[in-house]
Amino acid sequence: MTRLGTAVVTAAAIVAVAAPFFLKSFGIYLISSWAVLTIAAIGLNLTLGYAGQVSLAQGAFVGIGAYTVTLLMQAGVPFVLAFIAAGLLCFVIGWILGYPALRVQHHYLAFVTLAFTTLVFLVLRNEQWLTNGIYGITGIARPVFFGWSTGKAFNFYFFSLGVLVVLALVVWWMLHSPWGRAFVALRENPLRAASLGLDTRRYTLLAFAIGSSLGGLAGALYAPLVQFIEPASFSISMSFNLLLMVIVGGSGYFFGPFVGALIAVLLPEWLRITEGYYLIVYAALVMVMMAACPSGILGLVERLLKAVTSSGKSAPAIGAERTAP
Amino acid sequence: MSGTMNSVLEVSDLRKSFGGIAAVDGVSFEVREGEILGIIGPNGSGKSTLFNCVLGQLTPSSGEVRVDGMRTTGMRPCDLNRLGVSRTFQLLQVFPQLSVRDNLILAGQEHQGSMFSRLFGRADAGLGEAADQMIEFFRLSHLAAAAAGALSYGQQKLLDAAMAFMAGPRLVLLDEPAGGVNLTMLANLRERLQAYHAEYNATFVVIEHQMEFVMALCTRVLVLAEGRIIAEGAPADIRKNPIVIEAYLGH
Repeated sequence: MTRLGTAVVTAAAIVAVAAPFFLKSFGIYLISSWAVLTIAAIGLNLTLGYAGQVSLAQGAFVGIGAYTVTLLMQAGVPFVLAFIAAGLLCFVIGWILGYPALRVQHHYLAFVTLAFTTLVFLVLRNEQWLTNGIYGITGIARPVFFGWSTGKAFNFYFFSLGVLVVLALVVWWMLHSPWGRAFVALRENPLRAASLGLDTRRYTLLAFAIGSSLGGLAGALYAPLVQFIEPASFSISMSFNLLLMVIVGGSGYFFGPFVGALIAVLLPEWLRITEGYYLIVYAALVMVMMAACPSGILGLVERLLKAVTSSGKSAPAIGAERTAP
Repeated sequence: MSGTMNSVLEVSDLRKSFGGIAAVDGVSFEVREGEILGIIGPNGSGKSTLFNCVLGQLTPSSGEVRVDGMRTTGMRPCDLNRLGVSRTFQLLQVFPQLSVRDNLILAGQEHQGSMFSRLFGRADAGLGEAADQMIEFFRLSHLAAAAAGALSYGQQKLLDAAMAFMAGPRLVLLDEPAGGVNLTMLANLRERLQAYHAEYNATFVVIEHQMEFVMALCTRVLVLAEGRIIAEGAPADIRKNPIVIEAYLGH
C-alpha cells in the first residue's frame, strides 16, 4: 500500500472505532449492519471481483448462515461453534455450487446462481418444521463471551467490527499469497492460466467456496444483530444488494466492499429527508454512478490519483488496488 | 514408432477429424532432446490442430502422444504443463493487470509445493529470484514492476516466451512466435530463444508462418499439408525441396 493509502485506511479505522461513541442506538445498528454486510460483500468480491465468477447467490448464503446459527443456538450449541458451522456449511454448499461455473460463465452462471437463490428461499419458506416458514424466528439471543455480553448495540457493534477485521485480514493474506495471483489469472485468462499449470477447476471451486463461506459467516452475525430472521430477508433482493455493494465500491479492489456497503447502508437513510422519493433518488444515483464510472468508487479514486501523480507506470500490488480490466 | 532413449516427444499416427474432415490425418514424428523442430505448412494444413492435440486442448480421434515415454493423450492442459510441457499461444497471452514479475512468478508457482504451501508459504512462492533472472535474461529488467499490459507488443512477446520457460520445462511448444512482431524485435526474439536453447539445452517445437524465422531458428523442419507430413529435413534441404515448393505455391 502507498503512504496515502495507509493514511486513509488508518483514518477510516479511527472513524470506525470512534463512531459509536457519537451515535444513538439506531445509528449504531446501522454501522453494525455495515460491518456484517461488508463481510458478505468481501466474500462476493473474492468470487466475482478477483476470480471473475458471477454470483447472484451471496444473499442465499447469508440466509443459510443466519438460519444455521439460529437453529444450532436454539438446540443449545454455543455461538462460536454455531458460527464456525455456518461458515463450513456454506463452504461445502459453495463448493458444490461452483461446479456449474466449470461449465458456464458470465450471464449463464448468473442465472444458475439466481435459481439457487430462489431454491434456498423456497426451502426456507416451505420447510416450516425446520424454519418456521414465513413467520420467521424471533428472539434470537446475542452471544456472551466470558461474561462480556454483546446484548447492547454498542457492544455488538464492536463484536461485529472485530470479526470483520479478523476476516478481512485473512482474506488480505490469501490475496497476497500465490492463491491471489491464481484467482486474478483465472479471471483474466483461464486458458493461459491452465497452460501454466494452474488447476483452474480447483481454483474456481475454491473461489466459490471461500466467497460463500464468508457469506455464511456474515449471516451468522446477521441473525443475532437483527434478532429476527424470515425467508424474505434472504430473497434475490439481498443478493442484488450485495452485488451492488461490490460493483459500486469497486469490484476487484480490496477495500471496494467496505465503501460499497457503507453507501448501500447509509445512503438510503440520508435520503429519507426526500421522504417517499428516497428509493427513486437512490436508484437514479446508482444509475448515474455506474454510467459515469463502471469500475466503482475506488476505480474513480484510482483514476483521479493517476491523473494527479501521472505515474501510471508501476502495476498495482495484488489486492491493494484493482486488478481488473 | 519406437522411441529412442532421448526422444522427448513422440507422436504416433495421430488423427483428428471434424465432422468427417480429417484435419490431422495420421501424423507421426519424434522430437529429440535439445533440438528445435519447426513445423511449417500452408494455412489449413493442420498445424494448429496437431498442436492442440499434442497439448491436450483437443482430444485426438485416434493415435497417441507420449512425453518422455509417458502416454499423455487426453491429459488436461494443466497436468501436461506440470509434467514439463510448456507453450505459448498464437495470440498474445500475458496477464495485463499483473506486473511483469508477477506474470513470471505465476508461470512457475503451480510447479512449487502444494496448494497448502501456496496459501501459507511465501507470497512469491520462493520464485522471486528465478523471476528476476528470467527478466534479466529477456532484458526486461527496467520493466519488472510495470503492468504487463503497459509493455509494447514486442516486449509482451518476450514476456510471453519467458513465461513458457519459467518452470524449466522439458519441452516448449511455440505457436507462431513471430506473428505480428516487427523485424527488429523478431531478430531480438530469435536471438534470445537461441541463447536460451544454448544455455539450457532446451527442446522446442515451433509452428510458424514466417519462413526466414523458422529457417534461422530451427535445427530440423517438418512440412505439413492437408493433415499429413509431406517432407522432413534440415532447413536448407526443405527450402530446396520441390514437393514443399509445390505445396506452398501450388494452392
